[in-house]
Amino acid sequence: MTALLELDGVTKRFGRVVIAENLSFSVGAGDTVGIVGPNGAGKTSLFGLISGDLAPGAGEIRFSGRTVTRLDAASRCRLGIGRTYQVPRPFADMTVFENVLVAAQQGGGLRRRASYAAAAEALERTGLGGEANVAAARLGLLQRKRLEIARAVATRPALLLLDEVAGGLTDPEVTVLVEIVRGINAEGTAVIWIEHVVRALTALVTRLICLSGGQFVGDGDPAGVLANPKVREVYLGSEVTASVVEAALEQEPSGQPGREPDPERSTS
Amino acid sequence: MAWVNAIIQGILTGGLYALFACGLSLMFGVMKVVNLAHGDLAVVAGYIGVGIIASTHMPFLWSVPVVVVIMAALGYALQRTMLQTALSRGELTTLIVTFGLSIVIENGLLQFFTANTRGIGVGSSLVSSSFKIGSQIQIGWLLVVVFALALVVLLSLQYFLSASKYGRLIRAVADDREAAQLSGADYRHVFGIAAAVAFGTVALAGVAYGMTTVIQPTTGTDTILLFAFAAVVIGGLGSLWGTLLGGIVLGVAQQIGAQINISYEVLAGYVVFLAVLVLRPQGLTARRSQS
Repeated sequence: MTALLELDGVTKRFGRVVIAENLSFSVGAGDTVGIVGPNGAGKTSLFGLISGDLAPGAGEIRFSGRTVTRLDAASRCRLGIGRTYQVPRPFADMTVFENVLVAAQQGGGLRRRASYAAAAEALERTGLGGEANVAAARLGLLQRKRLEIARAVATRPALLLLDEVAGGLTDPEVTVLVEIVRGINAEGTAVIWIEHVVRALTALVTRLICLSGGQFVGDGDPAGVLANPKVREVYLGSEVTASVVEAALEQEPSGQPGREPDPERSTS
Repeated sequence: MAWVNAIIQGILTGGLYALFACGLSLMFGVMKVVNLAHGDLAVVAGYIGVGIIASTHMPFLWSVPVVVVIMAALGYALQRTMLQTALSRGELTTLIVTFGLSIVIENGLLQFFTANTRGIGVGSSLVSSSFKIGSQIQIGWLLVVVFALALVVLLSLQYFLSASKYGRLIRAVADDREAAQLSGADYRHVFGIAAAVAFGTVALAGVAYGMTTVIQPTTGTDTILLFAFAAVVIGGLGSLWGTLLGGIVLGVAQQIGAQINISYEVLAGYVVFLAVLVLRPQGLTARRSQS
């Protein structure tokens, strides 16, 4: 069986800054992969390489057995690679429904009725059904993040790239978001999720990758990767991190005021 | 009464100016292309109309959709080739490229059609017929027809942009090209469609101008482009109905100027244009959204 997404020796540099250094990995259909790493590690750029926003300097990217290295972002989207932006970028002048409709018609390749149904379903799934006719510019942060996901989902992706969708959200909001992503994954969509909110990742993913300086410093089951001293060093820094890691592993709230325990979390 | 007459004439002329301006506004709003060849392309459309009627003896009304389709196809092709290439080198490059295109078109027209003026024959009955309101106000039917055409074009554009699939796409790409790519939209194709629509309105502008007066190779730059710019700036950049408001303000200013002294006609228009630039640079209708 061929993998859904394969990167083979992908390298990208901007001048002397290394974005990706000979990266090779594969993701199977329906997989859930988390990516962590310090700022500037090349996480978002890696998404750019996969989604087609960036062209690699060397190496090959295959999707569903097809080489997509030279395809532009729109073509890759139509093949089934959906992506969200770290900072949501809705079409501000348009309604929430129109935002998603464009994705369903262009990325999803759907027409008329089918596209309307797919757009409505994507909104329903992300809990935006009630905001369908609101101008996207008027949405709050959580709603914008939901719209970002809804738009990606409406393109009917086989692979969904989530870029820090949990950033800036409260704990209960993160829990809601994790459930939305879990629902999308349950229908067979593979998910690669970049996130600083580690507990959001550990609640869902079965594989965790730590990226630093364009290279993998850890790849495997989440508990193992987070316990890896190298990972702790590059990503988590030093002492601060011990508590973060423990919190993530023990599935306990980190003790900050205003946070609520989350019974749903599991590292399975 | 002469003043009322002047104002009515000005308002109706504003419809023609709105036709000049809406394509320019659309190209800028979507692609950030300031098309300096805009007026020359309108003149080309006029010449195509003259040529089609002369060579096929097609009735005037039939020739209009033909010219529109030819210009729309030209718009798509030009956008996908020359303008897209220029855009990928930066928005300023499009200024140079369209300026060059303007020069080439003007000189090409001079070469092939000489500097003689030409008009589009729509039958003398429409050109010369008018109706009277009271004893002193006389309104030509031709201007009324052109004003109505402008209204229809603007209403159609608004419907197209707000309710159609491609209109939605154009708005999405104009808003955020990269995000639209991630939604699966090929922005180059969408740009091509926007250019085709803009060139369709350019064709109507050229034909309408050829109907109301005469065209010659330099009309594009010295009249159509400048009036289009003035209307867009007065009305507010990126606003569709602003082009009509801008066109009307320009038209009324010109007619009032002409009423004072016939040599002030064009000058009065530009005085208002400058006043708007100084006092309200965002135009009379401020744009709804952030830039």
